[in-house]
Parts: sequence; C-alpha cells; structure tokens
Amino acid sequence: MSKLRETLETGAFAVVVELKPPKGTAVADMLAPVNALKGRVAAFALPDNEHARMRLASVAAARLVQEAGGEPLVNLTCRDRNRLALESDLLGAAVLGLENLLLLSGDYVTLGDHPQAKPVYDADSVQLLQIVQGLMAGQDSAGQPLNGNPAFFPGAVAIPEADPLAPQLLKCAKKIEAGAQFLVTPPIFDLEKLRQFREHLPLNPVKLLAGLKVLGAEETALAAAGQWRKVYSLPPDLVSELAGKEPEEVLALGAAAAGRLLKQIKEERLADGVYLKAKGRTDLLTKILETAGW
Amino acid sequence: MIIAERKPFAEIKAMVAPYKKILIVGCGTCVAVCLAGGEKEVGLLASQLRLALGLEDKRLEIGEITVERQCDMEFLRPLCDFTADYEAIISLACGAGVQFLKQLCSLQPIFPGVNTSFIGVNNDVGFYTERCRACNNCYLGVTGGICPVTMCPKGLLNGPCGGTIQGHCEVDPEKECAWSKIYHRLELEGSLDNMRRIMPLHPCDRSTTPGTVIHPAFKKRYGTNE
Repeated sequence: MSKLRETLETGAFAVVVELKPPKGTAVADMLAPVNALKGRVAAFALPDNEHARMRLASVAAARLVQEAGGEPLVNLTCRDRNRLALESDLLGAAVLGLENLLLLSGDYVTLGDHPQAKPVYDADSVQLLQIVQGLMAGQDSAGQPLNGNPAFFPGAVAIPEADPLAPQLLKCAKKIEAGAQFLVTPPIFDLEKLRQFREHLPLNPVKLLAGLKVLGAEETALAAAGQWRKVYSLPPDLVSELAGKEPEEVLALGAAAAGRLLKQIKEERLADGVYLKAKGRTDLLTKILETAGW
Repeated sequence: MIIAERKPFAEIKAMVAPYKKILIVGCGTCVAVCLAGGEKEVGLLASQLRLALGLEDKRLEIGEITVERQCDMEFLRPLCDFTADYEAIISLACGAGVQFLKQLCSLQPIFPGVNTSFIGVNNDVGFYTERCRACNNCYLGVTGGICPVTMCPKGLLNGPCGGTIQGHCEVDPEKECAWSKIYHRLELEGSLDNMRRIMPLHPCDRSTTPGTVIHPAFKKRYGTNE
C-alpha cells in the first residue's frame, strides 16, 4: 500500500508537495525538495505537462523521486494520449512501482507552449478513472484480459469555486462513482469556500486534499489590475498585501500565507490533507511547513 | 451546412501565377450561402485577379462558371468539355467539391480557392458557427440538443472540465461552456439523469476516414464499397 494511501486511510493529515519537472534533462532542481523534505511529507506530485507546457514525463520524473527516497504522485492527463497510450503508460507506472495517480482532463493545448499540437482527449477524466478500475480488475478498456494486474490509488480534481457549481458537483459524483479515492482542489485562499464545498461531498470514502499555492509577483500584479481569470479567487486583502512588492518578498509573504492556511485547514480538519504548489522551491516549501508548525 | 472562408488573395494569385488561362468554378450551395464560393464570389475573385495582374502588365484569361453543387456528379458532368480549354482550375467549393471536380478534370491542376472550416449554422448574414463534427455517433438526444463533441473544445462526454470560469470556456472566454449549457438545458427538460450516467468511451472507429455511407435501399447496387 502506498504511503499516501496509508496516510489518508488511517485518517492522518497528508501533505503533498508538487514538484516541477524540468523542461530538459537537468533534474537536480526538481529533486531538491525530495532530498530536503522526504521525511516530512506524504508524497511528491509530478505534474503532466502542466498548463500544456512540455516538460519531463511525469512517470519518468516519478521514478526519479522514488529512487531519491520520496513517495510519488503521478499526474496523468487525457490531453496528450489516446486510450492505448494512457493504458500503456499506466501499466508502465505500475511496473515501476508508482501507485498514486491524479487523473485529469488536462489544460487545452492552445493555452500552452505547443499551441499547434493536436489535442487528444480520447478519454475524459471520468473515463480515465474507469480505465484505471478496469486495469486493476484485470482488463483493458477493450475488455481484453491482462497478464498481471496493476495496483493503483487513483485520485481526481474537484473545483470548489466552480461557477456554475452544480455541473461540477455532478461530475465530481461521477468521478467518485468511477473510483476516485481522493480529490484535489485548485488553490484555495478563502477557507469558507472550502468549508462550503466540503458539505457537498460524501463523507466517506473520498478524501479531500486542499490546494495551497504560493502566489508570484506576476499573478499578484494581474489580480491587482483586475485581470484575474482563474477557477479560484484571491482575497482582496491578500492581493493588497502582496501587490507592488519585490518578487522574492511576494513569494516569502505568499509562503507564510499558505502556511497559515495549512495550519487552519489541519486544525479545523477542513480537508484530509493539502496539495502544495510552491514553484517546486525547497525554501518556500520549508517556510510553509514551518509557518504551519508541520 | 458546410462553412468555408476564401483563401487570402495573395495565396490564390501565387497558385495561378504560372498560367495564362484559368477557370474559376463556383459552387451554388453551402459556400454560396456563407459568401465564400458562390457565383458572386467567382466574379469578385476573377475581377481581383484581372485587376492585380493588369497592374503588373500581365495577362490572364479567366473563365467563370458556377454549378449547383460540386459535390454531386450530376451537376459536374456537364463541365467536362468546358474545362478542357483551360490550363488550370480554381474551385471555390468545399474540400469535397474540389476533390470531386478534380476526379472529373484529371488533366489540369486544380487549386482550392477556399479553406473549408466546419459544419455549422448561419446565425446571420456573414456570421457562422460550428455545430457538428460529423462523429457518426450522435449524442444530441441525451445532451439537451448541444453537441459535447463539437461545442466542448476537449470533446468531453461526462461534464465540464475544471476550467469553466463564470460559465465560460477556458479555451475561449468569449464562448459559453458547453457543459454548463447542457446542464441547464437538461435541468429545464427534467432530464438531468442523462448527465448523471457515465458515458462510455467514444467509438472513434465510427469516424475512421474516409467515411462511406450506403443507404440501406442501395446495398445491393453498391455492396459495401463506394
């Protein structure tokens, strides 16, 4: 059983740290947080061409994390692979000992750095969860038997601040029906929104990891200029606090804010864990954990 | 109907640069409605070419003709003798029409004068939007009459992605999220159970190209092949 699964199933609070696979083959910076934090966090997430920007494959990056002594959480999107490639990569992950999966549709290609690439989406995230269930039960999506069944701990994404919320809740229910064991949210800054969303979810068995993010200066400037366009909102107070400051100061203040949120989420048990996005930087991640008293 | 846009003039002019006598063939159906390749557009393109080449002291003889439908051999066959006098042909039909015309006129080069865009609707004069990707597995009966394969850029079948912002699409903020609209349509219809059911993987083999349809009444005549 994976460490992340054990943490969540025993009711312990899980801290997941997102790493930044490189655009290239230099992996030292990506692995730095693993070396520094592997004893303190439950898992390290490996985004899959995040924001449709080409980077090192998440499965390969996850294997490196494992070799460095960390517990990986492989992100897998439907954007770049048809069902054959998804299933084949899933089997590949399984034989490398990668059990934790975060399954997503994936940001659209025109939003990334290869805008002329062909978008695939042969499966959607619900269907991908079903594919995973099928593989674990010993058959591929065409109904053919496997010689050796993989074991996975699959999760999916949920959007607490979706507008409109109702269609998202309906999809969320389908993800749970299709086998999602845990849900990860986009960054949350307003815990009241997390609290409200939690009320919509079944208490068991699905676990919830609340996203926390360290804002950068560019994002803060966008928000301050009224041009924020994301699936999560930023409190005006936080934007005012960060706007106009030097980039490193913005990051430091953002890390402290994320740390305070982590502490509150854990103390009030607003989620079963957190998913930290701190640009893959050890110093920022350490500051978050220290602020939270983790 | 099929929506198309005329290719940029410079591209068309470069295509026909080596020739002295060309024929422009319009199509009187879809591309005429969307103002890309009907009789009027044939005349306009011919005038543009004459004017542009005239300014360069070049001479190009241009024939003009428009048929009812270039995707139908019944309307194309009469062109057979007519086209023989020309060195090259510009077809302003959709891609299907261009290919069918070339099938008839095998001796001359043929050039497309339009880019075929999509299967869509005529919202208003000059304003066309896509509605169908011809996936050969229609879902409209369970999605409130909105096609998720076409109207959702990701073609998702089980609800919205995580990128919807205020009911709009992550890919194009000007467009409404297809799944938000489908939800509201189904809610109004009292058919939200349609959306609660998990839709299986799309049968992509049904749209393997090139597609062929033989009407059941004509199976004997055509067998399984075209």
